[in-house]
Amino acid sequence: MALLQSDHALDLLRGIVDRSSADQTEVTLESVEDCFVRYASTGPTQNADRERHQLSIRVRLSAGGGRGAFGGWREARATCGTLDEDAIARTLQRALDLAEVAESNSALVPMGGEVEVPASAAQRPTMDHTMGEKASWIALALGSCEAQGLEAAGLAQTTTQSRTLVNSSGRAVHGARSRAAFSLTASSPGGEGGSGFAETIVSNVEELDAARTVERAVAKACMNRTPEGVEPGSYTVVLEPAAVSSLLLFAESHGFGAREFKEQSSFLCGRVGERLFPDSLRLYDDPLNDLYPGMPFDGEGTPKVRKELLVGGVLCDPVTDSRLALALGLPNTGHARPQPCAEGPTTTSLFLAPGHSSLEELIGGVENGLLVSQFHYTNMIEPRDLTLTGMTRNGTFRIERGQIGAAVKNLRFTMSLVRALQHVSGVGSTLEVAGALFDGEVICPAMRIDNFRFTSATDF
Amino acid sequence: MLDQAHQAVSEALKAGADYADVRINRLCQERYVVRDGSLEEAEAPEDFGIGVRVMKDGAWGFAAAPCAASEVGDAYPGLVRRAVKVAHDVAPSRREPLRLAAEDGHVGEYVTPIGQDPFAVGLKSKLDLLRSASDSMSGHDDTVARTASLSLRREEQWQASSEGAALHQVLVRSGAGMSCVSAANGTVERRSYPASFGGNYRSAGWEFVEGLNLCDHGERLRDESVALCHAPLCPEGEHTLILGGSQLMLQIHESVGHPNELDRVHGHEVDLAGRSFATTEKLGSYKYGSEYVNLVADSTVAGGLDTRGYDDECVRSGRWPVVEKGVFVGYHTSREWAHTIDEERSRGTARAEGWYSPPIIRMTNLSLEPGTWSFDDLVADTEDGAIFADTVRTWSIDQRRLNFQFTTEIGWEIQDGKLGKLVRRPTYQGRSPDFWRSCDAVCDESHWDLWGVPNCGKGNPMQTAEMSHGASPARFRGVRFLN
Repeated sequence: MALLQSDHALDLLRGIVDRSSADQTEVTLESVEDCFVRYASTGPTQNADRERHQLSIRVRLSAGGGRGAFGGWREARATCGTLDEDAIARTLQRALDLAEVAESNSALVPMGGEVEVPASAAQRPTMDHTMGEKASWIALALGSCEAQGLEAAGLAQTTTQSRTLVNSSGRAVHGARSRAAFSLTASSPGGEGGSGFAETIVSNVEELDAARTVERAVAKACMNRTPEGVEPGSYTVVLEPAAVSSLLLFAESHGFGAREFKEQSSFLCGRVGERLFPDSLRLYDDPLNDLYPGMPFDGEGTPKVRKELLVGGVLCDPVTDSRLALALGLPNTGHARPQPCAEGPTTTSLFLAPGHSSLEELIGGVENGLLVSQFHYTNMIEPRDLTLTGMTRNGTFRIERGQIGAAVKNLRFTMSLVRALQHVSGVGSTLEVAGALFDGEVICPAMRIDNFRFTSATDF
Repeated sequence: MLDQAHQAVSEALKAGADYADVRINRLCQERYVVRDGSLEEAEAPEDFGIGVRVMKDGAWGFAAAPCAASEVGDAYPGLVRRAVKVAHDVAPSRREPLRLAAEDGHVGEYVTPIGQDPFAVGLKSKLDLLRSASDSMSGHDDTVARTASLSLRREEQWQASSEGAALHQVLVRSGAGMSCVSAANGTVERRSYPASFGGNYRSAGWEFVEGLNLCDHGERLRDESVALCHAPLCPEGEHTLILGGSQLMLQIHESVGHPNELDRVHGHEVDLAGRSFATTEKLGSYKYGSEYVNLVADSTVAGGLDTRGYDDECVRSGRWPVVEKGVFVGYHTSREWAHTIDEERSRGTARAEGWYSPPIIRMTNLSLEPGTWSFDDLVADTEDGAIFADTVRTWSIDQRRLNFQFTTEIGWEIQDGKLGKLVRRPTYQGRSPDFWRSCDAVCDESHWDLWGVPNCGKGNPMQTAEMSHGASPARFRGVRFLN
């Protein structure tokens, strides 16, 4: 078992802090237990039961070399993957050696002191979920696909994670979370026709409806067996949550953070406080939510709170860590990555607030448009307008006079996310936890956007 | 350590495994980032762990955990039991049993040849180099970030298999790079040297880092990033395109490398990364590119990030053609997949991310063979209005690797046989085989370089792997640009 009990982890880390000769020391331990069965049409293909640790030691030496003589800090970090005494001692020494040669940085804020963070815990049913139970989900997926002449592929996975942070200023926090996920991509044999995808991501595996996941993917694949060609151009689109997620994740990774804002590469630059978007749009970051909770503190041990990002059509200030908060004269919102880090603060539990329309109602309001199930390989061309490109995947359909019509072949979009959000004409009422190709998850509903620009097509 | 790997294998066979391989892996890294003259990130991770893979009842089982080097003997029995149980529990869901291609039980050692051990170089020397590189980009008010980074990696692995393999490998790689970001005129533009993704990387020692001569390129990067903010967008429409090597390497990676992975061809990556248009019936006859296109996979090439003695299934490294005079002739395979194209042996391209993950097919070093042109002659031979573009800015490709759209950091219009006006954000779009068929010239060996990819993602859960792509500039006709 990789996860340490809270008391055990806190004691281990306090011991490391106590033996450090640095002026300030912070120790973080992250532990993960991960079990997965990946599968394809031949059944389970990669099946793993594994665990790992990452122990990170951050040290600071005052520039004058004496405790309290603050003229800046020399700071560095070293990490190790094992918790034996020798590895910990080597890691601490590496961190100290690195800090010795770092130059003084007067922009650093003293490490924070004692705080309280909300209680969090991994879900016991998720921790106890077995390989045999995962295999039963997969049997369901294989059976349903085979009955429809489809090929199955996907992943059944349960993960539990704990994080503990202790520093020499008296901060000592511990958190844990869990994740259970099951996905199915159902495809025509050899990939010659279309495909359908569904994924369910929850904290407590008892809330995961594997049968419903299979049903959704198979139904989509059956609707998508013989896609027809469609001309690129501007369409009103209804994006299902998996498609919304892969767009919004670029606002998370390249826009909402204070570093990008400070360096003028964020779409927030020149737009904070401006009413630019429809009133119906509200974005916020909330790791403390009940639906899919994240860690209750950030990489500096600062407690998480809900942070509004877009309210009533108006963009809010960026998310910060201790250093960028000071640099920009903003509050520390608790979005630090583990420090020191060349990348800036980031949101981790991005929410698009639900609206009042069902998916059917969003579709019903479209005279001539497209329903997009998912985007593939979305990437950013330009950060100031968040110009993105990506392909549709796993089911794109015409919408004609408010009804889902024929399946169409995949299209490439090239579009500014800022402009896309300005043209949102409806937000769905049902939240889902949705991921994307390049990692990350967003809790979001479906969304309808007018004048969405597709720039080319592909063969299938 | 090898003895303990063998003991773990024996334990697995006793526990009922039909096949077993064990990897004990130690990873040491250093990473430094200097931004605007100050050390922004200084990190030195080390990791040690065991991965046990077994085949039982026609299914795989894998278990992995970290442990101290002195505690391997205590750790492996539990991992063996867990791996066997995994295979046992999921085997009933297999529709057909796994088949492994035959392989000899290799006994051997491979150590990356290096000039100077990068981990023995003093910290001060490393940071001084990065500070100087960052400082070399200073001097303009529009510059908003001047970053120089260094990344070192040493991976030591002991491998044993139930077929008698006993292998010890020490893989060392070094890399460095720099980038300058400027913001003006409502846009943000980056220039990188020697490539994107933090620079360039080799299986080599400190001599590679020193040979990059980072500081010699600072002023140019600064001036180009500022100039790009004021340059016109690359014109839309159909143009001839000459791609520089640091962009062409990504073209090779995305439109040849990934579609060439045989597990992907058979639909076993469709749950995340996707399938491939390069299906097995095309092998041996499909016109993948023009006659000038020769692509070779090579896990033995000097300096390649996937240059090693053996893969993670204990198969010896090798070199083979993938596209020969434009014709598709070879795949990347593993022991699990070789039989599906009637090959008796694996090409040795199954790799795992450290001890923590099971091996999957990963493209190895895959390179475009050099042609006959000098770069100056090629530009002189190209019509006005053509575009020379280089250095990755962004990329996207569909799940069968057909429709791609790439944007480079920089481009120049060709005028009067020379590089002329600077153009911003060249974005070109195409269909992979059509693009490679439109290639009518490749520059010669004097322009050929090996470009390292340190961040290739594949698998689900995703694993990161490294490989290199060799390329010299090449010309493509009738390419569609958009902005």
